[in-house]
Amino acid sequence: MSLYGLIARNQHLRYVDAITGKHYTLADLQATVEAPDEQALAFLYLDNSIASVKMLLNCLNSRLTLALLSPKLHIEYKQRLEEVYAPYYIYDTTRDEIPDFDIEESGLYRSHRGVRNVIHPDIKLMLSTSGTTGSPKFVKLSENNLVQNALSILNYLPVNSSDVTPLNLPVFYSYGLSVFTTNSIAGGQVVCGNRDVVQKEFWEDMERYGYTSVAGVPYVYEVLHRIGFNRKEYPSLRYMTQAGGKLSASLVKSFGEYLSERDKHFFVMYGQTEATARMAYMPPHNLLRKIGAIGIPIKGGQFTLAPETNELLYSGPNVFGGYAVSAADLGTFEQPPVLHTGDVAKVDADGYYYITGRLKRFVKLFGTRVNLDEVEMILNQEIQGETFACIGMEDKQLLVFHRHGIQDDASIRSLLAKKLGLHPTAFKVQQIDDFPLTPNGKLDYTALQQGALPQVQA
Amino acid sequence: MNTTQTLQDIIAAALSIPAAQVTDDLSYQSIPEWDSVSHIYLITELEAAFNITIDTDEVLEMSSVEKVRETLRKHNVNI
Repeated sequence: MSLYGLIARNQHLRYVDAITGKHYTLADLQATVEAPDEQALAFLYLDNSIASVKMLLNCLNSRLTLALLSPKLHIEYKQRLEEVYAPYYIYDTTRDEIPDFDIEESGLYRSHRGVRNVIHPDIKLMLSTSGTTGSPKFVKLSENNLVQNALSILNYLPVNSSDVTPLNLPVFYSYGLSVFTTNSIAGGQVVCGNRDVVQKEFWEDMERYGYTSVAGVPYVYEVLHRIGFNRKEYPSLRYMTQAGGKLSASLVKSFGEYLSERDKHFFVMYGQTEATARMAYMPPHNLLRKIGAIGIPIKGGQFTLAPETNELLYSGPNVFGGYAVSAADLGTFEQPPVLHTGDVAKVDADGYYYITGRLKRFVKLFGTRVNLDEVEMILNQEIQGETFACIGMEDKQLLVFHRHGIQDDASIRSLLAKKLGLHPTAFKVQQIDDFPLTPNGKLDYTALQQGALPQVQA
Repeated sequence: MNTTQTLQDIIAAALSIPAAQVTDDLSYQSIPEWDSVSHIYLITELEAAFNITIDTDEVLEMSSVEKVRETLRKHNVNI
């Protein structure tokens, strides 16, 4: 069955507009989105408002292939992506007009030039691998990927028809989308809105609507900790989930204890966009006994460790159908037999997995995956004639190396903050005399990483 | 430098916007730069600059420059 078909079967489902408090059934939100005969691509720049959710649902109910994107993406990046992929439709309420597109009654902008791509019919959804660098790299997902992953998640999360779930993570992000799909299939009320945990209104809504769960990336938990979440009581809350990077041991303990003392559950989870969202979860009863673990594979999924490297490999029906970096890649959908997670792992005697390192070149900043090579490319484009090397610092900061005395550090930080839409404190800049090289003449990132730690902490 | 000037500079630095853009009616999420990340950073900077501890409700209360000022006054910061 299709994702929309499963959602349509949920008789208890209501979408609630957080602003007005109005309830809508799926039928209330239904509107026809016309799809041309050929497989066509729609770029949806979605926030979490009821209008965006309506658009997403109706597009899911069409034959279109959807690329979900952040409406806050820098306009230059939006235009570049649209040039690369030539979408047939665009949904973006932040723009009043789009050249060569006409707005239709549905709220979609339609291209004058029609369908200009050949798209494999299995590609239902495309998610960006990076929220902010404007990289054209997308993960290709099928309807089956979405359905299977949602069903596996529903196998361990206690979602039920009396739930009231806020969409407090972006729906264009795989984790936020999984909150949306699972609760649409099996939940009760799904509260749509753009309020976040730093707003008083979010907590007023929590009381007003009686939220039964809250989802968060590590940064959200840091904020919750900072604002004293655990000093208060939330009678309606039944469980919380965490994914999108490693939560510090002290916060796992703090939230794990707080929730278990109140007979509520804390689900620490692990996943990747390449696996639609979820690959593993920690059963709450073992959370405090195995702090730091990512847990056990979800139903239908399997982990193995690669010989020699100990890279964590995953297989399951939620493994993606490859990347797209250009329009030509839309013509294929090929699921690899195993997903190389890029994470190095170990497993204990009970079958619980632990991440011990990372092979891939990215850093997670405030829950957003930022590809380090892409950041280097941005810097090389913007500041020509300089060489840059980027490394990640424990998923807290991105460290940029450059040569002494050519460019000042502050301007590099503010450039990155602006281009990536992230707070400047996420970036650290360090000058060096010369870049370390490996024996075959490549940049030696391992040496940079090792050399960086003591100096940065000083 | 007087305290008002300092506050303006702290807010401008925390949100990474020009000081001239820091007006009383500037509020949380009214500009992309004032998001949850910069908000928490702003709170930390205010605590350090005025040697105060801002509690939970106040973190959520301080949703505009005007309200930041009000909260600081409660902590006997002279602005």
